[in-house]
Amino acid sequence: MAVENTNVYEEQIERFSALDRVLHWTTALAFLYCLLSGIGIAYSKFHWLLTFLGGGEFARWLHPWAGVVFSIGAVLMIIKWARDMVITGEDVLFLMRIKAYISGRHEELPPAGKFNGGQKLYAWIVFISAIVFFLTGIVMWFQENFGIGLVRWSVVIHEISFIIAGAFTIIHIYMGTIGLPGSIWGMIGGKVSATWARFHHPRWYREVKGQ
Amino acid sequence: MSTLTTGGTVGLGIRRLSASKEPDTSTKTYPELAILVDVSSCIGCKACEVACQQWHDTTPPLLTPEEVEKLGFVSYQSLPDLRHDLFMLMKFNEKDTEKGFVWFITKYQCMHCREPGCLIACPAPGAVIQYQNGVVDFDHSKCIGCKMCLVGCPFDVPRYDANNKPWKCNFCIDRVEAGLEPACAKTCPTNCLTFGLKEDMVEKGKKIVESLKKRGYENATLYDPPGVNGTGYIYVLPHGDHVKDYNLPENPRIDASIGLWKGPLKTIGSIAFWGTLLGVFLQLVLWGPIKVLGGKENKEEG
Repeated sequence: MAVENTNVYEEQIERFSALDRVLHWTTALAFLYCLLSGIGIAYSKFHWLLTFLGGGEFARWLHPWAGVVFSIGAVLMIIKWARDMVITGEDVLFLMRIKAYISGRHEELPPAGKFNGGQKLYAWIVFISAIVFFLTGIVMWFQENFGIGLVRWSVVIHEISFIIAGAFTIIHIYMGTIGLPGSIWGMIGGKVSATWARFHHPRWYREVKGQ
Repeated sequence: MSTLTTGGTVGLGIRRLSASKEPDTSTKTYPELAILVDVSSCIGCKACEVACQQWHDTTPPLLTPEEVEKLGFVSYQSLPDLRHDLFMLMKFNEKDTEKGFVWFITKYQCMHCREPGCLIACPAPGAVIQYQNGVVDFDHSKCIGCKMCLVGCPFDVPRYDANNKPWKCNFCIDRVEAGLEPACAKTCPTNCLTFGLKEDMVEKGKKIVESLKKRGYENATLYDPPGVNGTGYIYVLPHGDHVKDYNLPENPRIDASIGLWKGPLKTIGSIAFWGTLLGVFLQLVLWGPIKVLGGKENKEEG
């Protein structure tokens, strides 16, 4: 009986709580709106994106409000997850051997905790970019209250932040969906399979199991 | 890419549009137009200001003495600054100089830069138009209200209304298109304002500058700032060494930051986004998704 059960029902481990998931998806959707409308505004070849986001005027109006949601969400997320996101020497080693990770040579990598080096790096990029987006965005949004020089350079910094956060988000979305099968369930429903957890996050798996 | 709605066979030729490819301008060619503002013959009557409001049907507020006091604004000027309903403003400044007391007068409005910062900064295709005659205009139907035209303008000109749309002098493009001169030039009683071909205006301006120099204004100059590739309003300034006192920027140019995010940063962004997409695609096809036990299967490859 036991054998049959393990085949059909794989053990599931909770990876993200309901609050984690709501926080993540609220932040994610707000960011996605900002990213797509930002691409539509910054790149005239993609101006048509704004049509799907409610039209140019509407997208320009919603972009800063979505940005506020994103920034608050990102700050709450980092507050909630900061302890898991501390970058250690092992994470640096992981990032230096990132080629081994993407090409499937896992035996060369240090065993990951709840988050691996790449995930931690992304978390900090999102957090820092949220702060930068917020501050420079406020300057651009209420530009009549700031000096023109500050407004002009805010546009530049907003754009640099957009390029970095945008590129890393492409990786994040890829890894969360087809790049790393099984990981999406951590954010949808909140539970991942024990096999997945033991393989990708062995130290975290042992912690959860109390070993 | 925007469609050239204001062009057509009967309309004015278009030189370029915001956030769009440079259009082919070989079919129709229009000479550049300009208004020469000869400050030395301006009497400060503000008739041009009135004519501008009359033609454009705008009614900027009249300041009450209490409001003037509250603003701390004491001047011969009608209002402290341009507004969404005040496209041009006569600016006045009084100052003691080495030549004695000088009343600096400037006609202030959109300068119709030949290299317009607003058009270059605008991200909405077709929202800022530059006609072949050099006039720069806004198309509100295409404007998204982001205020980047203000960020790009070296003269701090566009003003936003409550609908979040920018306004400025449009060189009375409707009059010009119909063969009339702009309202301000039409009404000027002293011929301080002359409307015509840019090259003629430059020539006339230079002549006035020469005669001013002969009359003791040795610093007289023609203000046609090269940093923005010349302007549609050019000024004879009798005190050319006091450009700032005329409320004009000394060497206006499009700020370096705009060139940075419109040029290199756009390229870097495109490379970063497309490069990352290519990178994840290559990861997918070269090594495949990072699966549980995937490491063992691929061991001999690594």
